[in-house]
Amino acid sequence: MNVILRELKAHWKGILFWSLGMIALIGSGMAKYDAYQSTGQSINQLMAQFPKSVQIILGISGFDLTTAAGFYGLLFIYIAIMAAIHATLIGSDMIAKEERDKTSEFLFSKPISRAKAITGKLLAGFVILVIFNLVTTLSSIYMVQYFNKGASANHDILLLMAGLAFLQLIFFSVGAAVAGINKHQKSSASIATSVLLLTFILYFVINLNDKLDFLKYLSPFKYFEAHAIITNGLDPFYMVLSLIITVVLIASTYFTYSRRDLSV
Amino acid sequence: MNIIETKKLTKYYGKARGIIDVDMTVEEGEIYGFIGPNGAGKSTTIRTLLGLMKPTGGSATIFGKDITKYGPQIKQEIGYLPSEVFYYDGMKAIDLLKYSASFYQKDKKFTEKRIQELSGILDLDLSKKIDDLSYGNKKKVGIVQGLLHQPKLIILDEPTGGLDPLIQQKFFNLLKEENEKGATILFSSHILSEVQKMCDKVAIIKEGKIIKTEKISDLLENQTKRFRIETAMKADKKDFAIKGVDDLSITDNSVTFLFRGHLNDIMREIAKLDLANISIEEPDLEEIFLHYYQK
Repeated sequence: MNVILRELKAHWKGILFWSLGMIALIGSGMAKYDAYQSTGQSINQLMAQFPKSVQIILGISGFDLTTAAGFYGLLFIYIAIMAAIHATLIGSDMIAKEERDKTSEFLFSKPISRAKAITGKLLAGFVILVIFNLVTTLSSIYMVQYFNKGASANHDILLLMAGLAFLQLIFFSVGAAVAGINKHQKSSASIATSVLLLTFILYFVINLNDKLDFLKYLSPFKYFEAHAIITNGLDPFYMVLSLIITVVLIASTYFTYSRRDLSV
Repeated sequence: MNIIETKKLTKYYGKARGIIDVDMTVEEGEIYGFIGPNGAGKSTTIRTLLGLMKPTGGSATIFGKDITKYGPQIKQEIGYLPSEVFYYDGMKAIDLLKYSASFYQKDKKFTEKRIQELSGILDLDLSKKIDDLSYGNKKKVGIVQGLLHQPKLIILDEPTGGLDPLIQQKFFNLLKEENEKGATILFSSHILSEVQKMCDKVAIIKEGKIIKTEKISDLLENQTKRFRIETAMKADKKDFAIKGVDDLSITDNSVTFLFRGHLNDIMREIAKLDLANISIEEPDLEEIFLHYYQK
């Protein structure tokens, strides 16, 4: 419990800044919807004239941008990448910081096993992810409702946020696993975010080329695409796959971090 | 009872040597010195004992329990002060010490009282942020966090760096008090006068191997002597080609050397010379230390 409280105290400023950042992202994003909405169907027609590749890169493919829910769907990929970056950094920071800041000698000369320390840190990280998701969910519901003039989009938003939670878990565990295995902790965050970036690039590459569809399992962004979630709900296969990836990566964090020499 | 016992404890960093076949026995109530130059393996031994590193061979027990199986349980009764202290950014000294105390099963009131007592003795301002403290004051925080739970075993790795002489003296007094109350102390240092002042027994470590374990008194009184001789004729190096002679220096009629062995042996040889003067001195630990390491 002491480790959890210590980590939460150490991260409270970060939680605050990221929360404000997400509120600003969603607020400013949805503010643009006002302009799109006033154009009527002409904006959808205009967007449809863009080449398919441009539509994919802009993330506008398949959305009705004249509805608040459709426009929010367009925003979701930006929310997802922010959440993934945040989760990756939190995951790697939780595990890497003791060695990076040279406090590992202090902590692990105390009567605490490495497994117990990891548990405390991961639980603190989980609490931070929940706060991030709650802030994102509440600000999304509020902002969409504020601009929405049609049917309620709350159900769609909640489904998207559930998908976001799975993405957060995957990238949180990616960050933790990288820091668990990496002995040079100053590079853990950059290695973990490089993995994230690769999966994000892969997401676009797969969308641009149908022949590469078989690679979709390598990019968690493909598991929780806004259009698919709004149309068909969350895919149970991807939910289970996400949980398996998370469990395997977290287990590897415990395994590697508990067995290796600490850098002091 | 043996508080620390290592048997052929070995640690390699990949192919690089850390420590090799370290056998060490620290008995209850001892102040056990551990000396050697930088890179000899002192910190590696300590970090392996504390479970920060995994041994590549051999075994070690503390309080009779295997260090690899009972680490957290053993560390309930260990206080550790590393050579360099690093703490969390933005924390006040008191918060760090309370965080440190929260890991131990000792009563909260007891540890809080100890924190106040120890910081009073060391003249440490607990309300300051650790980032704002000087290195010496950070080291004081280290001393308090190492002693606040009144551990049965105190492990100190080059503990006095950054402490002024007055605080060093207070620190040594604190350690002696803890020792009188029953604490066993493992004191690693390359400052030999500290070890000389504090310890009952000393292990000398060189290139990862313990080359000698002796009582401080034995080491100082019986084993090695510094000879200074003046001869009537110019001295010849051949006259001192005697087993046990080391660090030989001949300048015209003056000869100095360290001798380690049976005194009768050297005296018989010296008696053959035409002596003008002779003095036989107790070398300090520094000299003995160099005597081992220059080989």
